[in-house]
Amino acid sequence: MEKKRIYYIIQIAIFIITAFIITEKDSNGMDNNILERMSQELEAAKSPEELQEIWRKYLGKKGELKILLKSIAAMSDAEKSVQSPAIQAAHKKALDLFAQKEKSLNQAEAGKKLLSQAEPLRLQKAKIGHLHPITQTIRMLNQTFTEMGYSIMDGPEIETEEYCFRRLNVPSDHPARDMQDTIYIQEPNILLRTQTSSIEAHVLEDYAPPFKVVCPGRVYRNEKVNKSNHFIFHHYQGIVVMEKTSLKDLFGTIEYLFKKIYGPEVKIRFRNKYYPEVEPGVGPDMQCFNCQGSGCAVCKGVGWIEMGGAGMIHPNVMKMAGLDTKKWKGFAFGLGLDRWVMAKYNITDIRTLLGGNLGYKYYKNESTL
Amino acid sequence: MKALYSQFKELIPGLKAGAKQIGEAMTLTGFMMDSLEEVVYKGKKDYLMGFEVRQNRGDCFSAIGLAREAAAFYGLKTQAPKAKPIKQGKEKLKIKIESKETVKRVLAVKIDGLENKESPAWLKEYLKFYGLNSINLLVDLSNYVMMLTGYPSHLIDFKKTDGQLSWALNSEFNSITTLFGTTVALSKKEELIIKDGEKIIALAGLVGGKDAAIDMDSDSIIAEVAVYNGAIIRKNSRSLNIVTEAGHRLEKGLDSEGAEYAMNLLVSLILEHAKGKVSSEVFSFYPKKQSSRTIKFEPGMAGDIAGVEIPEKEILKIFKNLNFKAEKIGKNISVKVPSYRLDVAMPEDLAEEVARIYGYDKIPGTQPPKLKVTPKITPKNIILAEKIRDILTSLAFDEILSWPLTPAGLNEQINYRNWNKAVTQNSMNELFPELRQSMAAGLLNQLKEYSKKNVEFIDIFEIGKVFGEKNGKYSENDSLGIMSVSNKKTFNEFKNKTENLLRLIGLDGINYFEPSAKPAIANPASCWRIASGKNQIGIIYKLVPQENSENIYFAEINIAKTVEILSKPSAGSTVELNQKLIPLDANIELDISESIFEYLEEAKKKIGKNRLWSIDVTDAYKTEDKIKYTIRASYQEITDQEAKKIHLEAFNLNPNQQI
Repeated sequence: MEKKRIYYIIQIAIFIITAFIITEKDSNGMDNNILERMSQELEAAKSPEELQEIWRKYLGKKGELKILLKSIAAMSDAEKSVQSPAIQAAHKKALDLFAQKEKSLNQAEAGKKLLSQAEPLRLQKAKIGHLHPITQTIRMLNQTFTEMGYSIMDGPEIETEEYCFRRLNVPSDHPARDMQDTIYIQEPNILLRTQTSSIEAHVLEDYAPPFKVVCPGRVYRNEKVNKSNHFIFHHYQGIVVMEKTSLKDLFGTIEYLFKKIYGPEVKIRFRNKYYPEVEPGVGPDMQCFNCQGSGCAVCKGVGWIEMGGAGMIHPNVMKMAGLDTKKWKGFAFGLGLDRWVMAKYNITDIRTLLGGNLGYKYYKNESTL
Repeated sequence: MKALYSQFKELIPGLKAGAKQIGEAMTLTGFMMDSLEEVVYKGKKDYLMGFEVRQNRGDCFSAIGLAREAAAFYGLKTQAPKAKPIKQGKEKLKIKIESKETVKRVLAVKIDGLENKESPAWLKEYLKFYGLNSINLLVDLSNYVMMLTGYPSHLIDFKKTDGQLSWALNSEFNSITTLFGTTVALSKKEELIIKDGEKIIALAGLVGGKDAAIDMDSDSIIAEVAVYNGAIIRKNSRSLNIVTEAGHRLEKGLDSEGAEYAMNLLVSLILEHAKGKVSSEVFSFYPKKQSSRTIKFEPGMAGDIAGVEIPEKEILKIFKNLNFKAEKIGKNISVKVPSYRLDVAMPEDLAEEVARIYGYDKIPGTQPPKLKVTPKITPKNIILAEKIRDILTSLAFDEILSWPLTPAGLNEQINYRNWNKAVTQNSMNELFPELRQSMAAGLLNQLKEYSKKNVEFIDIFEIGKVFGEKNGKYSENDSLGIMSVSNKKTFNEFKNKTENLLRLIGLDGINYFEPSAKPAIANPASCWRIASGKNQIGIIYKLVPQENSENIYFAEINIAKTVEILSKPSAGSTVELNQKLIPLDANIELDISESIFEYLEEAKKKIGKNRLWSIDVTDAYKTEDKIKYTIRASYQEITDQEAKKIHLEAFNLNPNQQI
């Protein structure tokens, strides 16, 4: 009996060792063979369909690795302990390889889809819109003045003699009428306004002081049109009526405006200059930017450039508007815009401002900010 | 007005300032020096200074006038050339002043035994500085006195007249040949002339006639110095288109008192240089003596107006320098103003005199003023116009500005309103006599120019005024004109951009209807009035093909009308969305005569604004006498079933119809 038990023990040991060797060799060999084949097939797969076939072949219900995995259940404990870890490891590796390939294929598919949905960058640009240089200039001035609390006004362009002249201290036989050649609609009473001071006449009548107002607007003078002259101009007028104000306030306002536009170094002078609607009258000049006052072609040798007119509102003008000149004082100023705009935008022909030759680059704009 | 530096020195004894300095001083005090030229006069180096003299200073169109101004600045006195009073003769001149209301003063005298000749070199030289050609000694002396004193004079060859002179308003003569040789047609309407018993001698105050002109043989003359009502001289100058140095001075208004000195100086110089003898009495017509004004002046006024304190002592000194007689009476100053200062009539004028001589450069202007806060009164149409500009530029439109005057005939093409044209009477630009009745005028012109210059993208707009007349009243409307040109048919793109603009500025209920009047330039089958609700605000149309393009679209919006509508409160467009929107379609059919816009308004009322998100016509199909519309209505904040129920009711749909 004892000999028989020893014999069986030795057989089992031999079987175990042999089985182990066979299993190790066979499962490893078998496992590695399957993995290698699967790996090669995965490498070669180019479509989700091919990938699916690989899954079916190796990892599907009847797949090789699945069968191998299922075979663990039928193994003896001894076999299991030897073969199961290797089979499970191989199965896991196969799953990982598969997932990697699937991810890579999906990314490629997604990439192809995105490419098919993609739209190319067209280099053709979209045109932008533009404001007229006169509008831009008026806006810039309006901004400066609205910051100082001014309102903006306009008035009729077909005017009466009363508001264009008489209420501005220019009766019919006044020499100052010669300063402005008038275009009439119905002489002598209905005309196209020759100055934005006509708006001033309306404002003085229609609004109770105190007020501060600027009036950008178009004016008309009876002149032939050529490169440097036009019958339509653009003026920028300002009117302030308060209980207390003076030339000092007027000078301060004009200087502030010019410094804002031309920088703090700009030099301004104020000289006496007659206008019928103001008393005292003022002519503000700016030192010529070209020669710094020494005289040149730009300033016609004078060294200074005339920038408009100004003054304290004439008492006759105030009285005609029904204002008590003992209580109310005012100042007014007016600037011509066209030459300013021409200088800024390098326009050499005044006719360009009103149609025809004014062009805008399709894709470029200038901000007044 | 020009003056020689040497003249300033002569007329202002003690003057040390150089020409440039004088020029700078005069510039600041109201007479801008606009030229300074080195010249030679009487063999010596000199300067010819040019000054701007404004319309209110007729007294400064003379060397003496300018010298007075310079002297005032420097606190010096002027010394005019000596002029002996005229030693009168016995002859009585036969002169009549018929037009008394136009003539302020006439002085006239007869001088015989004259020897007229060529002028001396200094006189020719002097006149040349003023652009005047030398004629002969007598005429040149007359011009010399004018430049020196500011008073024109007129010399008449007595032997070429019948001895009787009168000043009258022309009712006889059809023309005059001037001493320059030109013949001027006369209208016999208020031309002031000098005539004798038979012929016209001169246009008073403007130019002499050839018939009685002074020549080398003239040895007996009438010399006259006259001052007129400036208005008649100006009127005649304009209507006859005659501009002379004499007229230029007389139309500004001269001091009648000064005529005497000018006359005395003229006669003195004539007798000195051309010999002769005064043979007549001095004729004088001077019905209303020019008086000096006396003005009561409160010294503080000068400082109040200037904004800086000006001491009373300084004020009195300034008045003295200006030859104003100033006398302290209590707190005030009584100021007697010389008669030649016609421009000084009120205390504010005196304040200006003080401020300008004191010096504007002494008034600081380096600080922006601290002015009182005032109410904002900017009208809404200005604010709206700016908003429109920003929206249109963001929609890629370019702003243009154009002439409001148009060629004759264009208004008939573009007008659609019930009004007449406003036409100018005297515009120098005769080819553009009418004011535009639609913004299309300027935009069309710009389109033509851009087409010529191959500008590719023409999407333009202009904000301006359109003008008209009705029942004798002229009116103008702030308007927006928009124009687009395309190489394919894109009217509805243009229409949508226009609508976008209108909605973005706050209008809703945009609808269209057939206008009663269509502009001739519009394709009548593509022309509609635009309304916001029931309010007409503009027009939109496709133009008939023009030279350069077939597809031109135009819209015009009345800005003032738009402002009126916007002033009424309207429903907002912001909604808090808690549920999904439910879009449903409705297919309906209307007669051609029925308005889809009215139909939609009715549907909107039935639906209710709180439940309706949007309503739009997505398709329209015309059959013979009907139009089939597909309407997409989107519902907000209700369930699907609720939306369906409302939809079926609002559009009268069959419950079985697919929506």
